[in-house]
Formats: sequence, structure tokens, C-alpha cells
Amino acid sequence: MKSLSRRQWAHRPGSVGPPLIAAFVLLCARSSAQDSLQAERLLPEGLGLANHLEYSFDWKTKLEILENWLNLDYQQRNVSAGVRFEVFQPNDPNPSISRGRSRYADIAFKYVGVRVGTSHEGAALTVGNYYALFGRGLILKSYEDRSIRVDNNLLGVKAVGNYAGVTFTALTGQALNFSGERADILHALDIEWNGLGFLGVGGTFAAHQPDAAGAARTRLASLRIQPRLGSFDFYGEYGIKQNNDIREAAFGDDGGIIGRALYGSAGWYLGPFSVVGEYKLYDNYGFRTSDQSSLYNSPPSLRRDYSYILLNRHPSPTDPDNEQGFQLESNLTAGEETSLNASYSLTRTLDAGSYYQRILKTSSLPRTAFREAYAQVTRLWTDELTLSAALGYREEFASNTKAVTPVLDLRYALSATHSLRGIIEHQQVTDRTTTEKYFDDVLTLEFHSAPDLSLSLVVEMQTREPASGSRERTWWGFTQVGFKIADHTDGTLLVGSRQAGNICVGGVCRYEPEFRGIELKLMSRF
Amino acid sequence: MSRLISCMLAMLLAASGPFSGGALAAEGGQTRGQRAPQFTLPDLDGRSVELSSLLGKGPVLLTFWATWCKPCLEELGELQKYIPSYQARGVTAVAISTDSEKSVAKVKPLARGKKYPFLVLLDTNSEVARRYYANPIPFTVIIDKAGSIVYKHLGYEKGDELEVQRTLDLLLQRP
Repeated sequence: MKSLSRRQWAHRPGSVGPPLIAAFVLLCARSSAQDSLQAERLLPEGLGLANHLEYSFDWKTKLEILENWLNLDYQQRNVSAGVRFEVFQPNDPNPSISRGRSRYADIAFKYVGVRVGTSHEGAALTVGNYYALFGRGLILKSYEDRSIRVDNNLLGVKAVGNYAGVTFTALTGQALNFSGERADILHALDIEWNGLGFLGVGGTFAAHQPDAAGAARTRLASLRIQPRLGSFDFYGEYGIKQNNDIREAAFGDDGGIIGRALYGSAGWYLGPFSVVGEYKLYDNYGFRTSDQSSLYNSPPSLRRDYSYILLNRHPSPTDPDNEQGFQLESNLTAGEETSLNASYSLTRTLDAGSYYQRILKTSSLPRTAFREAYAQVTRLWTDELTLSAALGYREEFASNTKAVTPVLDLRYALSATHSLRGIIEHQQVTDRTTTEKYFDDVLTLEFHSAPDLSLSLVVEMQTREPASGSRERTWWGFTQVGFKIADHTDGTLLVGSRQAGNICVGGVCRYEPEFRGIELKLMSRF
Repeated sequence: MSRLISCMLAMLLAASGPFSGGALAAEGGQTRGQRAPQFTLPDLDGRSVELSSLLGKGPVLLTFWATWCKPCLEELGELQKYIPSYQARGVTAVAISTDSEKSVAKVKPLARGKKYPFLVLLDTNSEVARRYYANPIPFTVIIDKAGSIVYKHLGYEKGDELEVQRTLDLLLQRP
């Protein structure tokens, strides 16, 4: 599950939003009878309703943020429609999230869709806001990830057709820019064929028309192949990028290539053992709105995501313009009791011959941007006791640090529904610019009473030694209660303080400042 | 802070159940509730699987997971132990991977390596997860054979599987 958020905003009393939003929670029912099913909302058939509320108040700075997303969706036979009503008041102060709007309430997502035929031979049309992914996202990935506040949905029309193993997608749409406007236009086509079962092939073309008179279009195209041979799985995609204005300014001609991308993966499994290798080369392949604020594409990052706090706290977003590297990961399941996982990845910047450097007219030597090694073993010692031990190593150029992180994770089952968990994380960080070393220690204690309640206590201590012989310690700590209301609402209530840090999901990161206060999250689904 | 208090009061009211719809929404062996959104997703070998083709035979258990999600893997490990006996009684278990393009390459080797005894589908851009409001994960849904959602649960802790088993047992007792 994603990390909890920490955000601040100026305290502005008097909003009527939260009570109205909270009223949705009243649409509840409860069933705890042992001989009955979980209660169902008696919504009209085909209707779906979900509400997600996040509220935080920082008692040190007297700042608060309230965010709420209300989804209403309808699906009946071949027709679907829906809206998402968003209330952000006060909004997150991070300009990449608020887009300059301090208080905001609007229908931010709305769509109508219709499908004819079957999923094998038919077509679907969506009008309004939509998301789309082509291949592995080298050219287009339009998606929402609320935990990092990414939503680059497109507003326009998307058509998908299926026939004889071929899937054809055509779309035109506009993404929000930094000012909250949909100015540029994106057109894209994708075709994929899976007719042979063991082989998939496809291709994508996209063109971005800037909202500026006379500005050249940016065009990207790619081809991909995906063979599946027994226990082997492969994927390969190669893409190019063109823009006449940039080409002419950098190389004195037009019509040529200004960027390229290559991504490949190979997976193999034998019995309880599996291994995956991935390779990437992203050379000036970022595909953005003309104000550079929103990315249309999101190629594989070849970075790990972790469940542990310290391991996942790293400032290392993917750079689709200047990366080359690989990742290897293997898993071994030894019986029902033991599992092993190990991975290694290396990302380097490109050399002076790359499109990226030639366009910027630089001649930097390649350097290691990111190196990561990780190993974890999990063993079920008895029916009650499970132990996980992990060791992570990471080098990052962005912060010019290296970090070693051991983790010990113990879980003890008190009964069939009650369990205790303790996690100890230690991270030793070396700043390679100043040679300063500092240490972070996190202790997490959890009690779980399935399926309704969890209690957590998290304490973090950071120890710094700015000069020889001097030592500074900073403490953070919070308690968190996780609960259910009836069978439709999950909530967490957090009180205390948390260290600042990045939240990263798949190489896309969001910085969250230090937080000292109270935070409530409610997620309702009807 | 007044807003927070308002929210918490609303929660307490909700928990007290004044608007409760009561217990079982089942009549004549049929349940009433949200219809399960239809979907078509590829399996690990690239074949398309439609939800409609799984319904009608018996209850369908959907669990949304990802390779990087530790509680998800714990839930799948537990599911792996008890689901075969339910599959023999007509239950279909489907694990829908929400791994994005960044980690989808790891799904098949992991699932095959762990010998998961259930259908694994790929929802690479979380289109289906969005329709089931399955975020964050793990998120578990049980659909009765008529296509109504009768159980939803967010997260996984040891013991959650008991409620899943109880729900499946109740559904299997129905005509």
C-alpha cells in the first residue's frame, strides 16, 4: 500500500466542504451477523459510488489541506458513464499539484462510453476524459496515481476496435498543463496483434501539436514485439522522436531524429525459481506538453518500489531524456516456508554522442545516476512466527549519497485473527560531497485485529554528526489507527510527526515536507 | 479543526447505523447489490479473459495485487493454501495484477515460480482497478454467480481470509 501523505496549507476557516463530503459516509449499512453476507448497498443496478477524503492539519504551522474525490459511475449493458467531483479546499500548496488553484471544486473527470460487439470482435468509443497506455508506456501513459498526485488524463475521444486478434486504438485529446489549461492537442494511434498466441507485435504513432502558431509538431513512433516461448518471456520496443524546430536548431537540418528509446525485458522461470532482466535506453525521449509540465509518456524506470519506509525514501525520479541501464531480479520459493528475493540495477547517464547532449551542446562524461542492490529472505518459522530480513544498498547521483539499509520484520500470530508485527529499519547514509555520515532508525510496532482494526506506532530517530565529536539527534513519531466503518468505509487516523521525504512509485516521485499534526483518510465504496 | 470534527461526527453516526440498510441483501437465493463491472483482460499468455465467461458457474473471487506489494503477496500466499478446495466446489479465483509497465515484466516469472493455482490477469494501466475502486491494494472482491458484488475488503492482515472463506461458504450453500 502506498505511503501516507504529508502536506500543508494556510489555515482558512469557514469551508463548508467537509461536512457535505462527510455526509456521504452516512450512506451506510452494517451487517455483522455470522450467517449473512456482507451488506450490500441497494444502489440502482449498474451504479457505483466511491468517495476518498484526505484531511491534514499541521499543528506546528497551523496549516491544513483537505482533498476529496467523489466518483460516480454507471454501467448498464454496453453503455458506461461517470464523473469525478473533486474538492480541494484548501489545496495542496505544491504548485505541481495545485496548479495555482488554492481552492478548487469542480467535476474534473467525466466520460461516456459505448461498446458494440464483443471484446474479440467489436469496438468501444469513449468521449470525455480517459486514460490510455500503449505498450510499456514509451510513448503514451495517461494515468492517475493519487498517492503521488499524478493525473495526466486526456480530454477528447478514444476509439478502440478489436478484430481477428488485432486491437486498434485511435485517440485525440488534451492534457492539463501547469496553468490548469488544456492547450496542446495530442493525436495517437496504436495497433497490436496477438493472433498467434505465442507472439504479440505492435506499433504506436503519436503527434503533439503545441498551442503556439508556427511551432513544429513533436512526433514519436515505436515498434514492439513480445514473444512467449514456453517458460521464456520477452518484450522489446524501439522508438524514435522527431521535431523539426529542435532538429534545425541543433543539427541545421529538418526531418531527422532528435531522440530514441529502447526497452527490453526477458523473463524465465524454472520450478520455484524465476529471473527477470530488463534493459533501457532513453535518449531525449521525454514527451511533454509544450510548457514542459506534464509528461505524456512514462517508460519503465527499472527501479524497485518497497514496502519499507527507509528503503522507499529516495529522491530518484526516472529521467526519460538521459538514462541507460539495466535491472536483474530473481525469486526463489523454497517450499511453503522460505522465499528469497534479490535484485540489482544500474542506471547511467548518456555520453556526449547522445541526442540529449548534442541538442544541449554539452559534452559530459557518463556517470552513475543510480545503483541499487537488494536481497530479502522470508521464512515461516512456525505457524505463528514469520521473519523477514532484508538488506539494501543504494547510490544516487541526485543527492550524491550512498545508503546501506538493513531491515528486520517479525510477525507473530496471537490467534487466527490477531497478530503483532515489529519492524526495525536502520539506514546509514554517506554524503559523498561533504563525507558527512548520518543514520536513520525506524521502529514500527503494529497490532492487527482482522478484519476491522489495526494500531501502529512508528518512531524515527535521525543521528547526524556534522563535526567530529558532535552529535545531533532528531525524533519523529506517530500513532495510527486503521479502522472500518460498516463494510463500505476504510479509514486511517494519524497523530504525530513524520520526516520529510520523497514518495516514489515506479520512478515518479513527489516530495512531501515534514509534518507534525493530525491526518485523516477515509475511503468509501458503495 | 472544525472540519475534522464534522467528519468524525459523521463517521460516528455512520457507525451507529441509523441509515443502515440492515443485514443480508439476499432474497430467494439471489443477492442484490452493485453489479460487478464487466471487463476483459489478458492472462499471462496473452489470451483475453472476460469476466462474463467466469460468471454463472459459481462465485468469483477477485483480488487486486502487485509484485511490489508485500501484503498482496502475503494474501496470495494464504489464498494459495485454501483456494484449491474451493475451486473444486466451483469457485473461480482471479488475481488481477495492477503492476504498471514498470514492473509488469516481473508478474509472470513470479506467478509461475510460486505456482499460483489461480488465474492471473494483467491490468497494466489499472483500468479495471479504477472501475472496482481498487486503490490502494490489496483489494478483494467476491462476486456471486449472478454477477453481484457481495464482499469487498481493503488490505490484508492474517485472519482476513476467514471472512473470505465464510462468504464463499455461504454462497456455495445457496441453490
